Amino acid sequence: MADKQATVYVIDLGPTLSRVHPSRGECDLDYALTYIWDKITATMSTGRKTDVIGVVGFRTENTDNAMATADGYENICVLAPISQFLLDHLRDLKRALVPSRGKGKGGDGFSAICIAVDMIMRYCRKLKYIRNIVLVTDGRGEWDDEGCEDIVGQIQEEGINLTALGVDFDDEEYGFVEEGKVPKKARNEKVIKKMVEACNEGGQELGIFGTLAEAISELGKPRLKKIRPKRLRPLSPSTSSDILALLSRNPSVRAPILPKLRGWDPVNARAYQIEDGTTAGGMMDIEKEQMEKGYNYGRTIVPISATDEAITVLETEPGLRIIGFVPVEKYRRYFSMSTTNAIVGAKDNLKASMALSSLIHALFELESLIDVQVPFSEDVRHYRFPPLDKVKTVSGKVLEKHRFLPTPHVEKLMSDYVDKMDLMVANEDEGEPEYATVDETFSPILHRINQIVRWRAVHPDEPLPLAHDILTKYSYPPKTLLGVSTNALQKLIEASDVKRVDPKLAGRKRGREQPAPKSGLDVEALLTSAAPSVPKKAKISSANPIPDFKNKLRTTEDLSDLKEAGKEMLAVLKELIKYSLADANYGRVCEILKVMREEYIEYDEPGIYNIVLQRLKEAIVSEELDGDRMECWDGIRYNRLGLITKGESERVEVDDAAARRFLWG
Amino acid sequence: MAETRKWTPKDDDVNEDEEEEDSQQYSNQKDAILFAIDVSTTMLAPQELDDGDEGKRKGSTPASAVLTALRCAYGVLQSRIISNPNDMMGILLFGTEATKFDTGGGGGGGVGGGYEHCYLLLDLDIPDAEGIKGLKNLIEDPEEFEPLLKPAKEQVSMANVFFAVNQIFTTKAANFQSRRLFIVTDEDDPHSTDKALKNSSVTRARDLYDLGVRIDPFFIYNPAKGGFDSSKFYDDIVYRSPTDEEDDYHAAVSGKMRLRQMVSSIKSKSTPKRALFTNKLELGPGLIIGVKGYLLFKRQEKARSHYVYTGGEKAQIVKGVTTWLAEETAKVADKTEIRKAYKFGGEQILFTPEEMKAMRDFGEPVIRIIGFKPASAVRFDMNVKPANFIYPDETGYIGSTRVFAALHAKLVKDGKVGIAWCISRKNAAPQIVAILPSVEELGDDGVQIIPPGFFLVHLPFADDVRQNPETKLVRAPASLIDRMRAVVKQLHMPKGYIPDKYSNPSLQWHYRILQAIALDEDMPAQPVDTTLPKYKLIDRHAGTYCREWGSELEKLAGNLAIPAARTSASAAKRSTLVKGEGMPRKRVKAEDGGGEGDEVMAAWRGGGVGRLTVAKLKAWLGGKGLDTDGKKVDLVARVEGALGG
Repeated sequence: MADKQATVYVIDLGPTLSRVHPSRGECDLDYALTYIWDKITATMSTGRKTDVIGVVGFRTENTDNAMATADGYENICVLAPISQFLLDHLRDLKRALVPSRGKGKGGDGFSAICIAVDMIMRYCRKLKYIRNIVLVTDGRGEWDDEGCEDIVGQIQEEGINLTALGVDFDDEEYGFVEEGKVPKKARNEKVIKKMVEACNEGGQELGIFGTLAEAISELGKPRLKKIRPKRLRPLSPSTSSDILALLSRNPSVRAPILPKLRGWDPVNARAYQIEDGTTAGGMMDIEKEQMEKGYNYGRTIVPISATDEAITVLETEPGLRIIGFVPVEKYRRYFSMSTTNAIVGAKDNLKASMALSSLIHALFELESLIDVQVPFSEDVRHYRFPPLDKVKTVSGKVLEKHRFLPTPHVEKLMSDYVDKMDLMVANEDEGEPEYATVDETFSPILHRINQIVRWRAVHPDEPLPLAHDILTKYSYPPKTLLGVSTNALQKLIEASDVKRVDPKLAGRKRGREQPAPKSGLDVEALLTSAAPSVPKKAKISSANPIPDFKNKLRTTEDLSDLKEAGKEMLAVLKELIKYSLADANYGRVCEILKVMREEYIEYDEPGIYNIVLQRLKEAIVSEELDGDRMECWDGIRYNRLGLITKGESERVEVDDAAARRFLWG
Repeated sequence: MAETRKWTPKDDDVNEDEEEEDSQQYSNQKDAILFAIDVSTTMLAPQELDDGDEGKRKGSTPASAVLTALRCAYGVLQSRIISNPNDMMGILLFGTEATKFDTGGGGGGGVGGGYEHCYLLLDLDIPDAEGIKGLKNLIEDPEEFEPLLKPAKEQVSMANVFFAVNQIFTTKAANFQSRRLFIVTDEDDPHSTDKALKNSSVTRARDLYDLGVRIDPFFIYNPAKGGFDSSKFYDDIVYRSPTDEEDDYHAAVSGKMRLRQMVSSIKSKSTPKRALFTNKLELGPGLIIGVKGYLLFKRQEKARSHYVYTGGEKAQIVKGVTTWLAEETAKVADKTEIRKAYKFGGEQILFTPEEMKAMRDFGEPVIRIIGFKPASAVRFDMNVKPANFIYPDETGYIGSTRVFAALHAKLVKDGKVGIAWCISRKNAAPQIVAILPSVEELGDDGVQIIPPGFFLVHLPFADDVRQNPETKLVRAPASLIDRMRAVVKQLHMPKGYIPDKYSNPSLQWHYRILQAIALDEDMPAQPVDTTLPKYKLIDRHAGTYCREWGSELEKLAGNLAIPAARTSASAAKRSTLVKGEGMPRKRVKAEDGGGEGDEVMAAWRGGGVGRLTVAKLKAWLGGKGLDTDGKKVDLVARVEGALGG
């Protein structure tokens, strides 16, 4: 479990914060709040009850704090007492965080820190908490450093991390100096800095002082949740492997789950039903007590009693047993199917650690053993693919030159290009020269959703923000490499001569090509020569509709024949539905429609399909095909066999909305 | 068709869980295989199962091609029940004296008769226990086999056979994604004298092509004819597109197919090749080629169990229907009324469907190479899920194959990998992948076991990596390492890991039991577990070395115990325990947990397990070797389960 944490934000709400800096286009408070909201919502998104937040405002119009009666604590308000921060708190806080109008004199910054320290002391008492105070100010208010040492002393005693960030504060390291700084602000900056640095005396690194711009620039950087390794399972004591513990190493972190909701909290109710043979399509409710557990064995249902169930589970003992060793170069890296686990000696078992160490060193010079699942024979799909370095013709001849094979010239250019795109030297920052290492890359979806949810919580009515650059940084090659490889790439592009196929044409029948068997035999010619007397325009038979239909389209150029084919197919479809025993023929209906849809798009006559479908729907809706056949229409919907839209073919005017209405209406 | 379906059009779906979708896609694409086996005198003649090895070792008698084909079909049937439980299979014998053709489904004006010498042994359907049992008996019992498998006196009309196949697929496997016909025959020219019959066969074969039925012929070597010449008949029957990726020239060309080869060839073709995605591979700005992605390794799980109602005539699967109710009013909610939200700050944050889509949008699908690294940069521990395989696809970009091949050759030669930004499908989450080249490998029988191409290995993000465990490093001295090296050397597997040698024992056992129950067979006594180490062999090769290592470890461990004793009392206790063997260790463990045990037992008797602290519950569960994860309610349930059950 993560440590408990309490954070109090101390926010300057003086009238000076309503100043709008020309280069930023928002007032200084809003600028500061960019940082504050990000921090607060990040805490909220963990949903942890033990990560609590409090907020203190100073230079406020009113006074509301525990020491309000004491001198020097005027115009300081506790805007939110320490607690788990929920969306309601956030809304309240948002209303409260506006620059004050009056020119109130009070609202000393150090006093505000005092209040924050007091809040933390009361809340955390002596319990184990990480304690933080985050101060944001523009440094134009009152900062009376008298008695400051006492505060520092208390901060050190409590071990509170104090972060002080100022709007346009000077920061040499970050490289920012404000021009024309007013003397009062310059003095305040010094005083605050001195106080913060004083916290670091005595061996504890508690204080951080900086300019707000730097803090804001780092907000896009994803925060990593520290995940402790998870102990998987203690291994069986009966084997020699009780000396090992397994730890999972990289479980994939997922974006948070989406609960379902609509205004109210939904609960789900489950009912159990079986098909009832006595009524067509009828269902019968079953009580839970009437049910057994079972499995499918092919089409057969095998009910299994609780005792039999136990037999179906293979008895195994937990443990790792070595089958043999494989040389590293013989291990096919792509066999790895799972996340990996690290194996280390059991805690405090030195003998085990030593035994394990001897194995590890006999294999690699590494410090831990990693395991990963490899496929069983059942896990492998045996798809076969032709070789890439030679082409065999249908007649079995092996070709060395072919349009599928690269020329030596292209191979040479490819080699040059690959060599120039070396990521091992592509990192421009100091340190590691390797680019795109695991610890530099962050899950785009995870952090993007996180960002958006937090954004929406604070800005309910604004459009979604842009994704942070870091999330898309690795979606393109680094600029450094692109620079040096441009020439090599251009040459490669020219030599490889890849041509994009126009997607509109890709599906079209090119010149009404006839399909030919392997021998290349012209089946059409064969048929004509064999039986010249048979008229081509034989009717499409309901026993063999799809081949007949395709054949009919192939052998004609006439629009009227295409229309005739559509008509005949409609008749076949109606017949199939009409004589269908329950849903027996619906699959065939869908298949026929699918073929017709594809063919009419390819033959550039989508209108014929649309007419056929409209007629068919009319027939179904009017129940003229032997009663209620809406289930057939459901199948048509499910298979997405609606009207052909203008997105699919330019020759029709049906838009998506109309197609939807037709299919679902 | 009667199953309940979700009516949301797919492209509006937001992809929440990719893995789930992967398997979903596969289950939606149904597949049907029909075996058509030629029954003739030569096909029934016993033949040596070539290349001897297996056949001779098992001392089996020579089998006929028909019997081998049926056995093979039976094997495919069994393995598909596990791997593709929703797919259909059927067996049609042709050339038999007997005729039986009564495919169910009916309607649509099915032509009766006209299928002389076609015998539908197993109607195309998801196999059931009865059919499987019938087939099994046929294979095992010559008395059933012989009367049925009598060749006809006249040549069967292949046109009729093809039309029979047409009708079977049309009625039984309508609207299937994939329909394949496996023809097993040794007759290369069935209609050598009858041109008209040959022509109508050619037409009927084209009908099958139009129906989307793919014909995979398996030609058997016919000694009487001196070979098998596919150009005489079958080259006019079989259709292949020029870009067809499937490599089957082997069977068609050699014209001489040995039985064992047929078996492995049929097996490898029994899973239809399906692309997981079609995508673009961008090698650099302006250089884009087309690729298709496949899933070659995927964990095969047991099919899920169902609730079953046995009160009726036949056992029936019970369907669970979930309805959403408003909590307060108990009003049934329509699916369209349910929206998704994120939990935040104790409330729910809602988004419009457009926004839900937009927030996951990182651009169009692409596999964009951002540069290259040496293969060693993809460390062993950097893995999260099975790799996808990609192969060039010419349909969108002409010239893809040669560019792909050039890149492949370079990466293989230099031992490099590509690093790429990958959005595999629309709405899929972006991933960083390593592009690893694979080199083609053939098995002993010449059938490909590893295809050439690229594997996309999903690399973990920084978010996915957990901290390394804290451990006390005890470096083994050289003497111990050297002894272990000797062991490792002895247990070397020269060929590497070969998945086909290792069946998943728990999966096999599960289905073995189901089969026994379904077919009313005797329960098997012992599971066959090929994954167990071959201990006898290991002992023979490495036994001495292992023992030497063991005694060296004991010697060294003696020195270790003292510093351990200083670090903590519990450690000392344990390190002495290790010296003991089996029993004492267990006993001490039981004592350790004893105190808590009593308390837990007492609480359980009093019905107050829930009042115990989480620490106590965990200690007790840990002591029993049970899972200690989860919330308190889970722990309590587990404790109660352990005591109650």
